[in-house]
Amino acid sequence: MGRLLLRHLGQTLLGTWLLASAVFLLSRAGSEQALLSPDLAAPSASVADMRAARAATRHRLGLDQPLFYIGRTATGGWQWRGRRNQYHHWLRALGRGSLGTSFRTGEPVTQRLARALAFTLPVTATAAVLVALAALTLAVWLAAAPRWQLPVRTALLALQSLPLFIIALALLLLLANPDVLDWFPADSVASTPDAAAAAAFSAASLRHLLPRLVLPVAALVLAALPELTVQLDAALAHELRQPYILTAKAKGLPALAVVRRHALRNALLPTLAQLAELLPAMVAGAVVVEVIFALPGMGCLLAEAAATRDYPVLVGGVLLVGLARLASLLLADLSYSWADPRIRWQA
Amino acid sequence: MLLAGSCTTRRDPAGAIRIRWAHDPETLTPLALHSQAAMDASNLMHMSLLQANSQPLALEPALATQRPTVGWRGDSLTTFRYVIRPAATWDDGRPVLATDVACTLKLISCPGLPNETARNNFGQIKQIEADPTNPRAFTLVCQGQAPELLLITGDFFILSEASLDPEHHLRRYTLPALQRWPATRPPDSALQAVARHYLAADLANHPERSPGCGPYRLARWEKDRYLSFRRKAGWWGQTVPGLPLALKPRAAQLDYLIIPDASAAILALRRGDLDVFPQLPAADFQRLTTKPTAEIRLYTSDSHDVAIAGFNTRHPALADALTRQALSRLFDTAGLLRGTQQGRGQRTASLVAPFDRANYNDSLRPVPYDPPGARALLEKAGWQQRATGWQRPGPRGVHQLRLLVRYRAGDALFATVALQFRAAATALGVGVELRPTESTLLGKALVSGDFDVFMRTLHGNPFAPNLAPLLHSASSSETNATRFSNPACDRLIDAIATTRDSTTRARQLRRLQVLLQRQAPLVPLFFLPNRVAARRDCQGLYVSSLKPGFVAPTIERTAAAATH
Repeated sequence: MGRLLLRHLGQTLLGTWLLASAVFLLSRAGSEQALLSPDLAAPSASVADMRAARAATRHRLGLDQPLFYIGRTATGGWQWRGRRNQYHHWLRALGRGSLGTSFRTGEPVTQRLARALAFTLPVTATAAVLVALAALTLAVWLAAAPRWQLPVRTALLALQSLPLFIIALALLLLLANPDVLDWFPADSVASTPDAAAAAAFSAASLRHLLPRLVLPVAALVLAALPELTVQLDAALAHELRQPYILTAKAKGLPALAVVRRHALRNALLPTLAQLAELLPAMVAGAVVVEVIFALPGMGCLLAEAAATRDYPVLVGGVLLVGLARLASLLLADLSYSWADPRIRWQA
Repeated sequence: MLLAGSCTTRRDPAGAIRIRWAHDPETLTPLALHSQAAMDASNLMHMSLLQANSQPLALEPALATQRPTVGWRGDSLTTFRYVIRPAATWDDGRPVLATDVACTLKLISCPGLPNETARNNFGQIKQIEADPTNPRAFTLVCQGQAPELLLITGDFFILSEASLDPEHHLRRYTLPALQRWPATRPPDSALQAVARHYLAADLANHPERSPGCGPYRLARWEKDRYLSFRRKAGWWGQTVPGLPLALKPRAAQLDYLIIPDASAAILALRRGDLDVFPQLPAADFQRLTTKPTAEIRLYTSDSHDVAIAGFNTRHPALADALTRQALSRLFDTAGLLRGTQQGRGQRTASLVAPFDRANYNDSLRPVPYDPPGARALLEKAGWQQRATGWQRPGPRGVHQLRLLVRYRAGDALFATVALQFRAAATALGVGVELRPTESTLLGKALVSGDFDVFMRTLHGNPFAPNLAPLLHSASSSETNATRFSNPACDRLIDAIATTRDSTTRARQLRRLQVLLQRQAPLVPLFFLPNRVAARRDCQGLYVSSLKPGFVAPTIERTAAAATH
């Protein structure tokens, strides 16, 4: 078991490195225009001035070095470029735990990612826990009360047909609107300029933050709930038709106990995969929700980094999300073997 | 309980003025300000020699005691003699001196610093000459004799030498020596020390580490969340008369909140969680106009932003003025102004703003929406309508009139303009392919000429209407995207750049506008309006065409206004 776990971890790390390397090379290979800030085209600048400014910017950011160890020559052949190349520097820095510095802000990428995660994780993790609990409760209740299945399934499918931005906007316009229900603030978690309250984790900062997190969490829960519940409900319905359930019922167990003690564990397998899928989503954030509720989280950071060609941030984000995805696969494998000991990893 | 108790809290109405920004300024290093937000933030902390005043619209002395004394040397140099206000001091109490100005200009040219943009912007300042009799007086020597040099000499933030070059390394170098420093030559040890010191301060993320001489200091910056500025107690300019509006601070605290989504920002404004919403989208402005609320007041003014469409004049089909004139008549600017801006904004015949009465040629009329006229012009240009579209014989075979139209993806204004243009062109038999393009790729396509028509917004400068980058044949394709080249236009643009007399210059500008409407490399569609929404209890916004469209430091909350 230990060796297999190590092997899986090794594969995970290898996969993440390959993924990040591919993103690094692909993104920088097309980075000719990355730094063409419109400001470089100053009204009084000549063509030569602009070329010089561009060359200076590329030199300052190390983009004038070869991209990789080997590269194409002008005649179409291949040439060894040595270790003085962008990929080598990036890899060495990565080995030291550094993801480089943002092209846009000059901050360390790890710092930007950590700041964004500090907003994303509380929201997405809370939403993930709530949605898992809600889906489990709802599916178990539906299995025990079949007459509610049709209306609840219909409602869930209707909810599933709504895009996330509609759900988020609807919550905002219904519950943070002076014309409807003025229950929650519409500004960002950001807007906390009571500096004393913002400075530390305190009751005041909590009082500021909590109401601003309710609507984003609710939007994420409502968006994810139907898929999980409908799937688990279908799996439970399938299990409840099996002969062993008949035996359990024949023993005189109440309906809810039959579902909880016998059917649920067998029905959970596909749901475990779905729950494991939530891990990378938790790290990657949700751009739509973050934009609408002004949460400066991972989704916004990565979308902005892609739009502004801030490659160090983009590659760092991909590395992190890639790690989370591969970790989620590992987690799914482990949870499968816990849920059904008959399942063994293939050596 | 905690949640319930906090849901309906409102801020103390006497507290900070809270202004919406859609994006974080990202960096606040004075040598590389890449966004309007960064510029606004820096304007609160730093000062330049001159500053744009919105009411009246003029360049006025800020750090300088008065506008500079202008002189000329030969036929290629202009000199500007400035004297810094004796009262001006840094936050640490040191006086602002000519040596600080010299240090700033040298930092702008110092190798190893992120100053590429500033170097291009202020590269025409070739020398600074100190006045041995007055440590606050100096003369800037500039290349050229164009009137906009005044703006260039007065429009950079002055930085503290004591903070950024405490060992006076830069005094060893002249400004020309730094400007001529070859890109391939590594900086020597002294310049490396300057660069190390500057970069170690990390002003991009901690501007408070270097003292400023502006009215506010950055109290707190939570990236992507908010910036909070506090007015300095006992700021030196508080008692100085004659400063521009932005240097008469009344707000004790200015908080800029980053709220990307406009709907959320409007709700925050209505709830009282926000005080000012600048650059309000047209649709939201219309909604607030039709359903007015007691707590919000709406403001509009002109702006110097003009929506344009441009033709690729290097494409054989668009190389002649008649074809371009014909296609110009397919833009229903009046309808578009109604549809996209609810009738606000202003149609224009040229790139000079119609409200710039001194320079706008009011004898010109905006190009009319006239599809029959367009057809006649196309026929006059030699085009013939066939079953497959419009054709014209050329030296290398038959040319087809089919247009690839590019604009920034996600831009609602130009999506509407492009659809209207396509509908009009299709009705005339001209094939149009719309290609909304991601911002960076659009820039690349414009530089490489991979388009027939492009649409974008130009941000005009109220103090120096300079059309050379856009339309002079010597300009690069990065600014002259149409690749327009016309000797008569070039001559006029050159003449405007060297004419000192404002009346003669205005006459030349008017002639240029006539010539450009005839040549039609660009179609100026309309000048966009500036829209601002603010809480009714906030007074003193001075909404105007000058970016960012209002004056933040003069805003104050009045209890009396709130009751009206």
